[in-house]
Amino acid sequence: MFTFFPTLFRRGRVAIALAGLALLTGCDFNFWRMDGHQSTIVVDGPVARAQLEVFYVTCWVTLFIFIIVGAVLAYASLKFRARSDADEHAEPPPQGHGNPLVELGLIGGSVLALVIIAVPTLKAIWFTYDIPAEEKANAYEITAVGYQWWFRFEYPGEQATIDATTKMPLVTGNELVIPAGRPVRINLRTFDVIHSLWIPKLAGKVDMIPNRANFLWLKADKPGYYWGQCAEYCGDSHAVMRFRVVALGPREFNAWLDQQLQPARTLVPRPADTSRPRPQFAALRSFRQNESGVTEKFDVDPLESWRAKQAPEKDENAELVAQGRSLFTTKACITCHTVRGHAGAGVTGPDLTHVGSRSTIGAGLLENNREQLQRWLHDPGAVKPGNKMAKGYVDSKITLTAEDEVALVAYLESLK
Amino acid sequence: MDALAKSAYLTKEEHLPKPRLLAHPAAKTGLMGWLTTVDHKKIGFLYGFFALIFFLVGGVEALLIRAQLMVPNNDLLTAQQYNTLFTMHGTTMIFLAVMPLSAAFFNFVMPLQIGARDVAFPRLNAFSLWTFLAGAIILNIGWFLPQATHGAPDGGWFGYAPLTSKQFIPKHSIDYWVMGLQLLGVASIAASLNFIVTIINLRAPGMSMMRLPVFVWMTLVTSFLIVLAFPFITIALVEVMMDRNFGTFFFEVSGGGMPVLWQHLFWVFGHPEVYILILPAMGIISEILPTFSRKPLFGYPIVVFSGACIGFLGFAVWSHHMFTTGMGTVATAAFALATMAIAVPTGVKIFNWIGTLWGGHIVMRTPMMFALGFVWMFMIGGFSGIMHSAAPADAQQQDSYFVVAHFHYVLIGGSLFGLLAGIHYWFPLMFGRTVSEFWGKLSFWVVFVGFNVTFFPMHFLGLNGMPRRTFTYDQNLGWNTPNLIATIGSFILGVGIAIYFVVMVYTYFKGRLAGRDVWDGRTLEWSIPNPPPEYNFRVIPTIHARDAWWYEKHHGEEVEKEKAEHAKAEATHGGIHMPFQSIWPLVTSVGILIGAVAVSALDSNPAPGIHLRLGLALTGGVVMFLGIYFWALEGNEGYHLHLDENGHPINDDDAKH
Repeated sequence: MFTFFPTLFRRGRVAIALAGLALLTGCDFNFWRMDGHQSTIVVDGPVARAQLEVFYVTCWVTLFIFIIVGAVLAYASLKFRARSDADEHAEPPPQGHGNPLVELGLIGGSVLALVIIAVPTLKAIWFTYDIPAEEKANAYEITAVGYQWWFRFEYPGEQATIDATTKMPLVTGNELVIPAGRPVRINLRTFDVIHSLWIPKLAGKVDMIPNRANFLWLKADKPGYYWGQCAEYCGDSHAVMRFRVVALGPREFNAWLDQQLQPARTLVPRPADTSRPRPQFAALRSFRQNESGVTEKFDVDPLESWRAKQAPEKDENAELVAQGRSLFTTKACITCHTVRGHAGAGVTGPDLTHVGSRSTIGAGLLENNREQLQRWLHDPGAVKPGNKMAKGYVDSKITLTAEDEVALVAYLESLK
Repeated sequence: MDALAKSAYLTKEEHLPKPRLLAHPAAKTGLMGWLTTVDHKKIGFLYGFFALIFFLVGGVEALLIRAQLMVPNNDLLTAQQYNTLFTMHGTTMIFLAVMPLSAAFFNFVMPLQIGARDVAFPRLNAFSLWTFLAGAIILNIGWFLPQATHGAPDGGWFGYAPLTSKQFIPKHSIDYWVMGLQLLGVASIAASLNFIVTIINLRAPGMSMMRLPVFVWMTLVTSFLIVLAFPFITIALVEVMMDRNFGTFFFEVSGGGMPVLWQHLFWVFGHPEVYILILPAMGIISEILPTFSRKPLFGYPIVVFSGACIGFLGFAVWSHHMFTTGMGTVATAAFALATMAIAVPTGVKIFNWIGTLWGGHIVMRTPMMFALGFVWMFMIGGFSGIMHSAAPADAQQQDSYFVVAHFHYVLIGGSLFGLLAGIHYWFPLMFGRTVSEFWGKLSFWVVFVGFNVTFFPMHFLGLNGMPRRTFTYDQNLGWNTPNLIATIGSFILGVGIAIYFVVMVYTYFKGRLAGRDVWDGRTLEWSIPNPPPEYNFRVIPTIHARDAWWYEKHHGEEVEKEKAEHAKAEATHGGIHMPFQSIWPLVTSVGILIGAVAVSALDSNPAPGIHLRLGLALTGGVVMFLGIYFWALEGNEGYHLHLDENGHPINDDDAKH
């Protein structure tokens, strides 16, 4: 206990201050609407809708029973209550032992109520398990692989270019882009521990279990941006193993695919660049543990925010990008990461070929901007406790100066 | 069976002189009195005492968890600390608080309710207690050891493979979890066999099975569940231990192991475990409601049958914990329907409890408040359970806060309310003092309000997509307010529990002395003086009806006559037979503790200190075998008590063999 608690006491004051702040700044008392980013009540796809409908059936049936049984219980407790001392010491009531007819009637009633629940349950079990036969031909297939603590998404039907002669299936990480309006079959795999893929607004979760070929299917009704999260405890950073789903209309989806299938974007330094002043390397501000990496601005229209990430940044510094690209090799990033067409064939970490076009980093945890990228590079272990990148820094004795960090950030950002 | 038959057994005793080592300890008070006791009431008290200590530990763990989740992106705890806390909160509350607290009631109340003078195997009973304590120590020992290499268990109370393998958690924390649960399993199985044999064999004459109080029935069903369910987790834990230390591949994927096999083994144990936690509370409620309604339990045979039915069905629904593991349509449908089916016997119990109230003279005392609170809260927990049985809906709810809300309604609103009701109800019998009604009712209302404020918002959280076992969450997901409310509620609940136990402790020392049979009870335990004398019944009662003591109170004269005859008969057979106290169960458990600590802290590859730990493990084994050897050697004898008119033993020394 003595080795466990010291940090706790130090942090206690922060928590109390924060609690007071939360109370003062007011709370959102509309929480009963349950319409958040990971709502299972306000849903956007047929699978989640089928699951919600079953939930409503169970909800209404049990609420109905609760009201009746509760009313009888309340009535009995009040009506037969001894109200005075004399009542309590009165002759005991008749010592009845029960009534078989009442019992049988109630058992019959309960069975009937359960049948009302069972029928839609069975229908939905079959519907939610696999894509309906008539839609199978139109289905799109993706393989999702869980790792401690991020997701790899593989598009087996799309051949991405590595170089002029070699192609391999498209691989992305932590941001699942799917075609809207089409059923998507997601194969679920894992090579370490058990994870679970959950996008509440589109479909209930199915686990990724080693040595087991699970899958789920879902369909997004319309283009949209969705929040997802690992739903099975998978070790230290389970809570921050998240991801995002982007559903796009047919044309936009194809455009996205075309971009992703290309090898990494290379920035050619323009002559003018050499005359620019070198950037200033301000020290990174310090971040509180678990400090939020998301902003309200992003949430106003998340799909638009995602679209904005697809175009190159306006103030790119080609020289800095080139410096970052060389650091990506010299600082051993390539051991674990791949930037198709540039360097690296590592598969321990997410594929970074088009990392600049993703809206989040660190598995859906931080918004993909300069500050958060640098925060991640600066100390990945503080953002995601126990992760392999932090361990990799220690094992390979990697140290990054502020200048290195900024250059790497510029490089990663350029990978649109 | 006849009361006299038991004393006939004593005539076989041989009276050889004993070597000094085997002299029977005789201290009734002081430390040695407690350490060597075989009295089911003292053992029950100790079970309750330790359970309540661990209940407080688990409660503090829960408050830390809630403090961390009070606001988004909080930094009160690290991820590692949080994961350790939720693992230990679950493990502690299930195995070290609710189960032993139930065992405390089984021990204290069950023999009194069947008119027995002790359990069938008094020394085995002591062994169960001390082994439970050994398991509890091992589970918690990691808190006091270096966190980087040892630490308290942090793989979840469910310990899903392959996260528990050495590859993912190389620390010894999982070894302590494995070994701790193994010892608790040994303790639980030994205790349960004891209870089963006691209930089958030691019932007073006339106490047929269908005259057993419902609490005794639930003890019997729970004991069978423990005996049948624990072997599954024992096997599974052995396999984890082998995988971790001896290179086997039960769950190791690299060698072709099947992680999903762990889930099946765990839940074949884990689901009956849920009923192991709730059935004792249901039994307590089925005693309290009739007493305070002043009429018999409505539909006794159906309540008993539905309890047994729940026990059987409990073994056929385990995979509803695994609806998201991709079992396929038919298996999912089968387990969904079986789960719905189990709602019927559960619902039947609720109907019968209401039927018991109907037409009664309800006396609103604190135990009755907790019992009614139980019925209300258990209903809510039961209904959200039905929601989970609908597998497609469960795909959204599983591993979300909706599930957290559900099982806390069942385990706090259910099990814990039942056990708190039981403590209040039997307190006058156990300690001869009554608890203040004002403070009792106040604690009830604070607990009731705090509990609902904590756990009701969690339904909303779960439906709004908040997963369990997460040490942090972002501020933009709509989870802030319910989490803040839940945390405030948890501290109210904490205050309520504190009031409850402060009042209990105060009453223990300073409470008003209680007369005999304070609640106008219906079952046999109320027929004896309080606190009960060590021999329980001056004369083994003869049972004529289901509510035996109620019958006795209303047929006073004939029962008195009968008792006098039996007393005379028993006196001619040598008086009241009592078992000797013994130190050997404790020695055996201490040996097991030493060995188990050494084994679970042992590295499989030679490291510095290996000889010390190997030696320690062997020492533990030797101590255990010595304990068992002397236990066997000292024999199962006892001595006789003769009582004066006031029930005090006379000629104590002469009576001893």
